[in-house]
Amino acid sequence: MDELTNEWMDEVMKTARLVWGYLRHNLMSAMAYRGAFFLQAFGMLLNDAMLLFFWWVLFDRLPTLRGWDLAGVMTLYGIVAFGFGAATVVCGNGFLVARVIASGDMDYYLALPADPLVHLLVSRMSLPGWGDLVFGLAVFLVAAPGRWASLPLFLLLGLIAGLVLVAFSVLVGSLAFWVGNADNLATQAINAIITFGLYPVEIFPGVVRVLLYTLIPAAFVGSVPAALLSDFHWGRMATLVGFTAGITLAARCVFQRGLRRYESGNLVTVRG
Amino acid sequence: MTRYAFILRTAARQQWVYRAELAMRAVQMVLFMGVFMALWSTAFGVSGQAELAGYSLAEMVWYLAMTETITLSSSRVFVEISEAVKKGDIAYTLARPLSYPFYQVANSLGNSAPRFVLNLLTAAAVVVVGTGCAPVLRGAEGAGSMPGLLAFLGMAALALLLDALVAVLIGLLAFWIEEVTPAFWIYQKLLFTVGGLFLPLEMFPDWLRQAVRWLPFQFIAYAPARAFVAFEPGFVLRAAAGQAGYVVALVALVGLVWRRARRRLVVHGG
Repeated sequence: MDELTNEWMDEVMKTARLVWGYLRHNLMSAMAYRGAFFLQAFGMLLNDAMLLFFWWVLFDRLPTLRGWDLAGVMTLYGIVAFGFGAATVVCGNGFLVARVIASGDMDYYLALPADPLVHLLVSRMSLPGWGDLVFGLAVFLVAAPGRWASLPLFLLLGLIAGLVLVAFSVLVGSLAFWVGNADNLATQAINAIITFGLYPVEIFPGVVRVLLYTLIPAAFVGSVPAALLSDFHWGRMATLVGFTAGITLAARCVFQRGLRRYESGNLVTVRG
Repeated sequence: MTRYAFILRTAARQQWVYRAELAMRAVQMVLFMGVFMALWSTAFGVSGQAELAGYSLAEMVWYLAMTETITLSSSRVFVEISEAVKKGDIAYTLARPLSYPFYQVANSLGNSAPRFVLNLLTAAAVVVVGTGCAPVLRGAEGAGSMPGLLAFLGMAALALLLDALVAVLIGLLAFWIEEVTPAFWIYQKLLFTVGGLFLPLEMFPDWLRQAVRWLPFQFIAYAPARAFVAFEPGFVLRAAAGQAGYVVALVALVGLVWRRARRRLVVHGG
């Protein structure tokens, strides 16, 4: 039993070292072009901030919308942006899984001893993702001044939202193992979860709401974590954690199953 | 002019070849319209009012369908230009018997044309199914009338021309800055906000409405959509004149920027 635990711990440490190594390496190469890095991150921050304009004008005319006010929606934006930012900074290839599989680029990851899925996900970093990350954090602190005590919970919920996004992207991206060029399909599904995630789930009619908890689980990216921040409930937290664990496991299983069907693209590339 | 018309036609035919790609864009339109129809239904329900800022629920949804039709049809020609600048391929275009930036304007309009038709049909279908309101078919006067539709089509063409000119300007920025995408994000979000993509200008606080009234962004999204949902000849003439004025100003600016950009171009060998 002890041996099994030690082996598992070794695996976890190895994966953690791989993730950290790539994070450090990607950040260092981004810093080589500092101007472009800061321009992209700042551009994305500004881009995200302007999205709140719609709600600012709408809530100027309506005090609340099915229990949501401006501060609530800003918190929701904060969580989605932070989660999306964390997902694209750490797992920059997370939203490109279908493209990598279809173009035969998996060969590179399969030839190396690291876990192919983790390796594929972390080998790229999105630079604008840093802008999302900072925006998410800033908007949370602005929306709820004096809520510094909830910051650790915000960070945890943001990371959970990011994990759900990556797991969902791996799930839909893995379709490429079966249907070939699933890039468009995966992109649309990912766009859908992000778009719906940015709106309170309560504004949608019943059938759509059911879809947002199941087929396109956008509720677990935005509304559920945001509601937990304003009104924490252990039962709801357990549901969120359970769902996240479930979708992550499902994504891993589907990817592994699909990998057995993968045929090499015999691609000859040079990687720096 | 004939050359540019030929490029426009070729780009449009090229787009039509990728019908699956076009269909995917239509899915995006369905998604956006679905989200906003739900949102506005809830907002109108919560407010208990039949109109918000002078727009009924059906008008608000039609307004959004028209603004989305225009903005989702715009082509990202700035990517092609900035890549050509970075890779140096732009040097080859200098020998061609046409002006590179205006070639890209024609290319952009050609890319937008099939998308525009498809987006318009998709958006209209979603709104008709979602609200059960088809004003043009009903022969209504005023909101969504046939003159409104014709005014929208004419103004949308000018709006796409304005958008193409801005996209070319953003692409040419690559001569000065390494990465032009953030400039596009900012332009896109200005369309979302002060351009009235999501909200008609009448919803804005007074001070903001006055401030954005003469900016070019509202001539791309708000003005054509407003002409459709609330047709008024006076408004259409004023807005079309504003669009034409900005087209002239942007054409001059593109010419000026291109002259300066060419001076920065250094060609090493062939």
